[in-house]
Amino acid sequence: MPSFSPDEQAAGGGLARDQAHWLASVRKELIWMDNSELPVSLMRAAVRLRRRFGGRLLEGRVFRGELSYVVAPADWLRVLAFCRDARELAFDQLDCLLGDHVPERTEAPFQVVVHLTSHTYGHRLRVKTFLAEGQPLPSVTGLWPSAGFDEREAWEMYGIVFEGHPDLRRLLLPDDFEGFPMRKDFPLQGIIGGRVRTRLTGKI
Amino acid sequence: MSEQQVQDRLQEQSTLERRPTSEELKERKARTRRRVPRTGEILTLSMGPQHPSTHGVYRAELDLDGELVVAVRPEIGNLHRGVEKLCEHRTYHQIIPLTDRLDYISSFAMNHAFCEAAEKLMGVEVPPRGRYIRTIAHELSRIANHIMWLGVHVMDLGTQTFFCICFRDREYVLDLFEMLCGARLTHSYSRIGGVAKDLPDGFDYHCRKVIDFIPKRVAEYERIIKHNRIYYKRTKNVGIFTAEDCYAWRVTGPTLRAAGVPRDLRKDEPYAAYDEVEFEVAVEYNADVYDRFLVRMKEIRESCKIIRQCLDNLPDGPFLAPDAGHALPLKKNVLRDPAAMIQDFYQVFHGPQVPKGEVYRAIEVPKGEMGVYIRSEGGPKPARVRFSTPSFYHGQAVPALVEGEMLADVVAIFASVDIVLGDCDR
Repeated sequence: MPSFSPDEQAAGGGLARDQAHWLASVRKELIWMDNSELPVSLMRAAVRLRRRFGGRLLEGRVFRGELSYVVAPADWLRVLAFCRDARELAFDQLDCLLGDHVPERTEAPFQVVVHLTSHTYGHRLRVKTFLAEGQPLPSVTGLWPSAGFDEREAWEMYGIVFEGHPDLRRLLLPDDFEGFPMRKDFPLQGIIGGRVRTRLTGKI
Repeated sequence: MSEQQVQDRLQEQSTLERRPTSEELKERKARTRRRVPRTGEILTLSMGPQHPSTHGVYRAELDLDGELVVAVRPEIGNLHRGVEKLCEHRTYHQIIPLTDRLDYISSFAMNHAFCEAAEKLMGVEVPPRGRYIRTIAHELSRIANHIMWLGVHVMDLGTQTFFCICFRDREYVLDLFEMLCGARLTHSYSRIGGVAKDLPDGFDYHCRKVIDFIPKRVAEYERIIKHNRIYYKRTKNVGIFTAEDCYAWRVTGPTLRAAGVPRDLRKDEPYAAYDEVEFEVAVEYNADVYDRFLVRMKEIRESCKIIRQCLDNLPDGPFLAPDAGHALPLKKNVLRDPAAMIQDFYQVFHGPQVPKGEVYRAIEVPKGEMGVYIRSEGGPKPARVRFSTPSFYHGQAVPALVEGEMLADVVAIFASVDIVLGDCDR
């Protein structure tokens, strides 16, 4: 598998022609939201990801020096497993997995965002996927066990179901809680018996 | 043997003892765990949420086979306040007091983490004096956190007096915070673009007194604890958690550094003034409870070094960014300067001007890596905030830490990863 070292990258020369071509094409495909730069190891990781998955990486963005990719829910596990195992990526730690709700995007209002860190290279990556209401997502607890609590939290807060999670129970909320409180349509005051809580005194 | 030879031999022994390979660590872990024959009769014990050594309201259901812990089911959420939901309904300035209540032992570090993330999102440059003051305050909170940790940890192992000694010494650091911002526990001292107030008169003198005093106290702690036979036997080779385990469970901070990984975001991804001061990353190699204690004691000493350098090189100039779009104005200018008054009205009633986008910023807080994710849709309020707090993941890793250990070691191991439930439940 061809790859280039940081020194080659810095020197600008010594790169194989196709590697330079790949780098240029990845550079062109990424959406640069501001004029920040990516670390060399992360550019190399982006090239590797692009070579492996091609058009399956739906969108790549760079904002404030952070690279984020969007993938389809069907590719979720495959992409993340590759991120963990490939030598140029080596994301051995999952920093944070979170659910999110974007009601304006009506066809797929939910998203799951994963932040990865590599102790080998010190670079970070964000991978996102968009989900429709009730659409399940495979669990990544098999790759990083630390995703367990995160996925339980995303499930109880947003109602995102993680398939293959060993223990998908409520984590932070009481067992008899109604609704998914982190969704944007859930009122801040809370709900009692299906109605918005208006009397803020008394027992919740 | 001469004195020199004795010293050399001791040094050699300690180096040999200090650097086990990862295979040795794994072997040691396997040896220290699961050493008791199983009877097959399981007793379920509920530990917490009021148990004193769960450091808050953590609850764990322990399955015991004799004295051996077979399985652990952690339960958190008793202190859940919905901070992330609240953040979506407040402007960036109003979120800072909420972050105090995450890890209330080192609340400045929490303020700092959120402000770093918000500044990254907004592209705000903090002036040098603000960065130095933040570094000082952050390291003070690290000292306070570690001293408190030591007191509570050693109290869990059965000494009552030592707890009082540690709490007394922590008071001196809290007094400094009181000088800085008027609050002892929930500081809210950091602001977007800098800090709330300049250093008060006399802070330099008092701070130097404290950071001269603290290393002496650390030497005293080590004199009491480090070579104490009971402490040594209860912590040495207990709760071994290797670097691979730490990566898998996202266990960071002193626990990771005690496993021989020199990972410290202050060095690896510098923020504030950490790239302008000299310090060493505290690393130990045995990955057990005892080494986590050693790492924290080293860190207190390094923190004192950092604070001394910051006080020596404290630059002049503004401590809050003169950035009308994002930062609050200086309070003393608000009633005199029309522009500052407009800025104050705008920031208080509307909020900062934030571009659309998302950022994740992790910094090294006393307990580990604290990451803050912010997604903005362009308004004065964030669309989604996630605090990826160290205690949350440390609390999750407790089963992996204590399964196979003895029941009496559970409190020692639990305390050694340093969990605060405000941080864990959010």
